[in-house]
Amino acid sequence: MNVIPRALLTLTALTLLATTAQARTWDDIKKSGTIRIATEGAFPPFNLLKGKELTGFEVDLANQLAKGLGLKVQWITQPFDNLLIGLGQDRYDFVIASHGITPERQKAVDFASPHYCTGGAIVTKPGGPMTAAALKGKSVAVQVGTTYLENVQKVPGVGAVKTFPKDTDAQAALMAGRVDAWVGDKFTGIDLVKAQKGKLVQGALLFNERIGMAVKKGNTTLLKELNTALAKSMSDGSYAKLSTSYFGQDVRCK
Amino acid sequence: MTATKPTRPGPPGGGTLLLWLGGAVLSFLALFFVITVILRQMPDPIGPRADLFVEGAQMTLKLTVVSGLIGLLVGMVAGIQKTSASAWVRAPANFFVWLIRGTPLLVQILFVYNALPPLLAAIGLNVQLDEFWSAVIALALNVGAYNAEVIRAGILAIPRGQTEAARSLGLSGAQTMRTVVLPQALRIVVPPLVNNVVALLKDSSLASSIALLELTLAGSRVSSESFQPIPVLTTVALVYLALTSVMTLFTDQLEKRVKIATR
Repeated sequence: MNVIPRALLTLTALTLLATTAQARTWDDIKKSGTIRIATEGAFPPFNLLKGKELTGFEVDLANQLAKGLGLKVQWITQPFDNLLIGLGQDRYDFVIASHGITPERQKAVDFASPHYCTGGAIVTKPGGPMTAAALKGKSVAVQVGTTYLENVQKVPGVGAVKTFPKDTDAQAALMAGRVDAWVGDKFTGIDLVKAQKGKLVQGALLFNERIGMAVKKGNTTLLKELNTALAKSMSDGSYAKLSTSYFGQDVRCK
Repeated sequence: MTATKPTRPGPPGGGTLLLWLGGAVLSFLALFFVITVILRQMPDPIGPRADLFVEGAQMTLKLTVVSGLIGLLVGMVAGIQKTSASAWVRAPANFFVWLIRGTPLLVQILFVYNALPPLLAAIGLNVQLDEFWSAVIALALNVGAYNAEVIRAGILAIPRGQTEAARSLGLSGAQTMRTVVLPQALRIVVPPLVNNVVALLKDSSLASSIALLELTLAGSRVSSESFQPIPVLTTVALVYLALTSVMTLFTDQLEKRVKIATR
């Protein structure tokens, strides 16, 4: 089987080829005057496309940070499972899309200090499974490439785990009765339950997580600037103001 | 039951067809075994998740076979309808082809999955289509519309004199179609039908949008876990290529067997 080592070699070579591109450093970005930020645009209330307009807590926060840094913003929306891959290919400077900070992701990208803390919560129809134990044998919808997928798969005895390209598709599957539960962000869940008025209820938290912005691995200059801007926003009250306007509470990590 | 006459390949009998089918099944089983063995030897991110890729490939093939067979039936019915002399028979087939060929397959899959159940519920039919059957319905209708045009073309390719001769010998319209026109037409349409099935195998990747764990979704799961699109997408492409290669190996045989000894 001479084929296997050769295929291996080719794949390695291709991988190397793809990672040689250079990310824009803070100096490059400052010189150009515009920062390119990517998000998903399908994750209310954090980032959401309303028609053509990009809104949400994370979008407003990133705009605020960029303003503090004296930069104009160019927004880019991408499917969630493409976001960190695109970051590796320098399609944008950083990603703010509610990425939970996990060891696997830290191998691929560098995270800024967390800009909020949340958890993965179960949402179901009244009478459905409300706890991790109750998920035994039940089918669960999650979005592909998320921490919810990993954490639901860890629940002992869980039934089918179905992965959808977007969170909204996973929620639609729950509403249509195709699955017994949906697992997603706690705050998104609260919003969803509110919007569906009695047709859905929120269950227990499966896990807690810290959410951070991601920059390309090794882009330390940009990471430092982002952290400084975030810390400033958190200390001068503008973060608290923004958070309260969206959630009625301060969602920063305690 | 195996031997066909060596001088002139006759029409494929039940025995040869069965042999052909058995060969195809065995080859695909062997292919899946080989893919499993090779992928398991690959480094991270492929090796540890080899079984996920194989599972996805099996689902892709299952989708193709099931919707391909239903699509052949759909195409046959609609294709014959389209050659009918009566406008009442032609109209529904024309409408079907117009509708399916004029809308994207992705929209059709999403429609069957998300919009069809509530629509059916509204008229009192309470069916819950799972991911697999939703995809099968959309894919079968889609390939069926393209097959219908192929089969219509095949029927029209049979000289009119054949029909006239058959009718003047006292055969009914249905008998003429069944015993004179269709056997000849089916030989003509095999290559373009094979084309449609190969396209179907690749189009089945769109089923990933409704969370059916086929090859493409298996790939995108691994890619979003490992953030390494190059090895993952390369693997996915190669597995598709392997599937279509084995498939065409057997459809080529089929073409040879049904070929009329004219050229």
